[in-house]
Amino acid sequence: MELRHCRIHISPVLGIRLIILAGIGSCVFVSSFSSEEALHNSNVEPNAAHCPETYISKSYFKKHAYLLDPDFQDFMAHELHTGSCEALQDKLNLVPRLSILHQHLIGEGSHRRLSSSIRFKSLPESLPEVPAHFCEAIIIERLPSGVFADPFELQHLLQRGVFADAAVFGDINLELPSFRSNRSIVEIHLDIGPNILSGHKNEVEINIELPLHARYPPLGKRGFSAVQFGLPDLFLRCSIEGKSHNESCLFMSTHGGAESQVVAAVWEVPCGIKEHEGVVSVITFITAIVSALLIVLTSIHYSDITDCNHLKQS
Amino acid sequence: MSAMKNISFRNLLVFSAFLRLFLIIYGEWQDTHMEVRYTDVDYLVFSDAASLMASGKSPYQRSTYRYSPLIAFLLIPNSIIHHSWGKFIFSASDLLVGLLIHTILKLRGVPQSISTYCAMVWLVNPFTFTIGTRGNCEPVVCAMVLWIIVCLMNGNLLQAAVWYGLVVHLRIYPIIYALPIILVLDPLYFQSGKKPAVIDWSSSRIKSAFKSSSTKGGDPHHTWVSLTRLVTVRRLMFGLVSGAVFFCCTGFFFYLYGWEFLHEALLYHLTRTDPRHNFSIYFYHIYLQYEHEFSALEKLISFLPQIIVQLVLIFRFAQDLPFCFFVQTLAFVAFNKVITAQYFVWFFCLLPLILPWCSMKLKWKGLACNFLWMGAQTHWLIWGYLLEFKGKHVFIQLWLASLFFLAVNTFVLISIIRHHTYSPVFKRLERVGSKKTS
Repeated sequence: MELRHCRIHISPVLGIRLIILAGIGSCVFVSSFSSEEALHNSNVEPNAAHCPETYISKSYFKKHAYLLDPDFQDFMAHELHTGSCEALQDKLNLVPRLSILHQHLIGEGSHRRLSSSIRFKSLPESLPEVPAHFCEAIIIERLPSGVFADPFELQHLLQRGVFADAAVFGDINLELPSFRSNRSIVEIHLDIGPNILSGHKNEVEINIELPLHARYPPLGKRGFSAVQFGLPDLFLRCSIEGKSHNESCLFMSTHGGAESQVVAAVWEVPCGIKEHEGVVSVITFITAIVSALLIVLTSIHYSDITDCNHLKQS
Repeated sequence: MSAMKNISFRNLLVFSAFLRLFLIIYGEWQDTHMEVRYTDVDYLVFSDAASLMASGKSPYQRSTYRYSPLIAFLLIPNSIIHHSWGKFIFSASDLLVGLLIHTILKLRGVPQSISTYCAMVWLVNPFTFTIGTRGNCEPVVCAMVLWIIVCLMNGNLLQAAVWYGLVVHLRIYPIIYALPIILVLDPLYFQSGKKPAVIDWSSSRIKSAFKSSSTKGGDPHHTWVSLTRLVTVRRLMFGLVSGAVFFCCTGFFFYLYGWEFLHEALLYHLTRTDPRHNFSIYFYHIYLQYEHEFSALEKLISFLPQIIVQLVLIFRFAQDLPFCFFVQTLAFVAFNKVITAQYFVWFFCLLPLILPWCSMKLKWKGLACNFLWMGAQTHWLIWGYLLEFKGKHVFIQLWLASLFFLAVNTFVLISIIRHHTYSPVFKRLERVGSKKTS
């Protein structure tokens, strides 16, 4: 009863908050709730006419239960409407692309950061006639099952303004070992800036550090299990000012040319050794039983002794 | 003299309160200025769950929230008043634990100065005062367990039963106290219309040597009599009321939040087998076996030491209730399949209650036990650090460190039992008792 009573008092406060949120109703605001769960839970959904699905990966998981590389490649090739952009119809080949410069892991142990360096390079011919626009880089990391990103940690980074948007999709159970878990996707959005397509900046280099955590790997023979990363999928999304409404244009960057030289990171995670199985089980149980017996024997034999002379005189 | 001692306990309480206030404020500073947060990760989970609850949603939408919704409910003001609200609640409970330790010892006739020293073991223990100020909910559970002891000592069985049902709903582990409570509700001590008589600390010191054989819970004859008299009105009442409170709370939250609540808050804790490294000796075995299902025999073997130790301790020490709770909890944690550092608070809050009956001298045996226990823990933490933060393959060393930690826990437990002066809490009410037994 007390609980319900309290909720009545609270809901108006929250209601007001939601009204304010709905009033603002912009894509940017909604994105501040960006973990997969938070988006699902939020009552405030972006207006579909002006703002397409914030997260590309969310569309994938609407159709697929698990992350499988062939499915995702198929999804990118056929279901993402990349390159269709009215405002830039005849200049699509002039739109600059993003490319990955290098990817490596920082730190040691079970909690490390995947550092990726991404380059945005303007083409020699800029597009002066493009209407006012704002672009963001979208980085999609398809994580191997041996690692996970903590959505709540990402939320913390979002609050600190490290990313414009970030969300985790797929298996977000943080506690399962890798042989019981499925893969997940981390999608990060970073603001590149206004009117970048028509600007004269030659090159922008973006560094991102994504905190990741190792799951317990399957048992092995040599004591370490290699977790192999893939290169991220890169997109450029620009919101271009139109007459009636803003148009959102999505451009995909493919790894080609010099970029293919980039070596994806590998994480060596310590793993249990299968040969330990028998010895560990036997010694564990013997230790438990011996300890238990010692306590039992002490309780039976020594609880009778109540020597007052030894009492602590404090 | 007595007034002066009273003031000194009050001073201790005031000092402890300021210490906690300072730590909460310091925690705020560290959280904003340093990479490593002072606040416990669980506190952020509680806060998220509380804000979900405030908006009418299930707290279990916050993954890894594995507590009763009551904890999230307590922390609803976190998102309305201040995000440190919960830390104040937990630290206040932590102070309340200090106060209750003092109250229980006073009820048992322990001199003021000794009670104050004992309360100090909890109040100025760095391990415990950081728990509450970092935002861990365990002090609430500890305060409830101690309050149940106070209620039993004052003869408030109904209240004790209500709190007991609630505390088992909050955190399942106090279920291990059910049997000793039932055993202590003996008609020899509890009679209608009478407040149970508590044995005075000083008299127990004098009489325990010659009265021990007749009052000991461990006496086989006494145990047999206790068993035959097991079904009494008070015991039934305690069982029914606490059971009703437990099932009402659980049923109410099941109605509100469904299976998710049952899975996260109850079943998860009952069936938890964590393959990730923790203080338990079983962690590496569980990891190595995780790819296949555990056989019934394996489950039984790992459960057997736990249940045997619990039963023996209960039947030996039930009448010395606080001591029984302490040894039970220490053993329960030591033999558990999962052990995290926060579980140690469960027996830390009971330790001051047994010290006045402990003949172990602080110099040097007491200190040796203390350092041995801390050393075994630190030794484990070093290997744990090398595995988790340096990525070294040290599973075997870490598992051996867990075995050593169990060995040290066993040694400490045995030393405590050997140096304990068995002292039942309640005085036998001879007249009615003799009628009933004859």
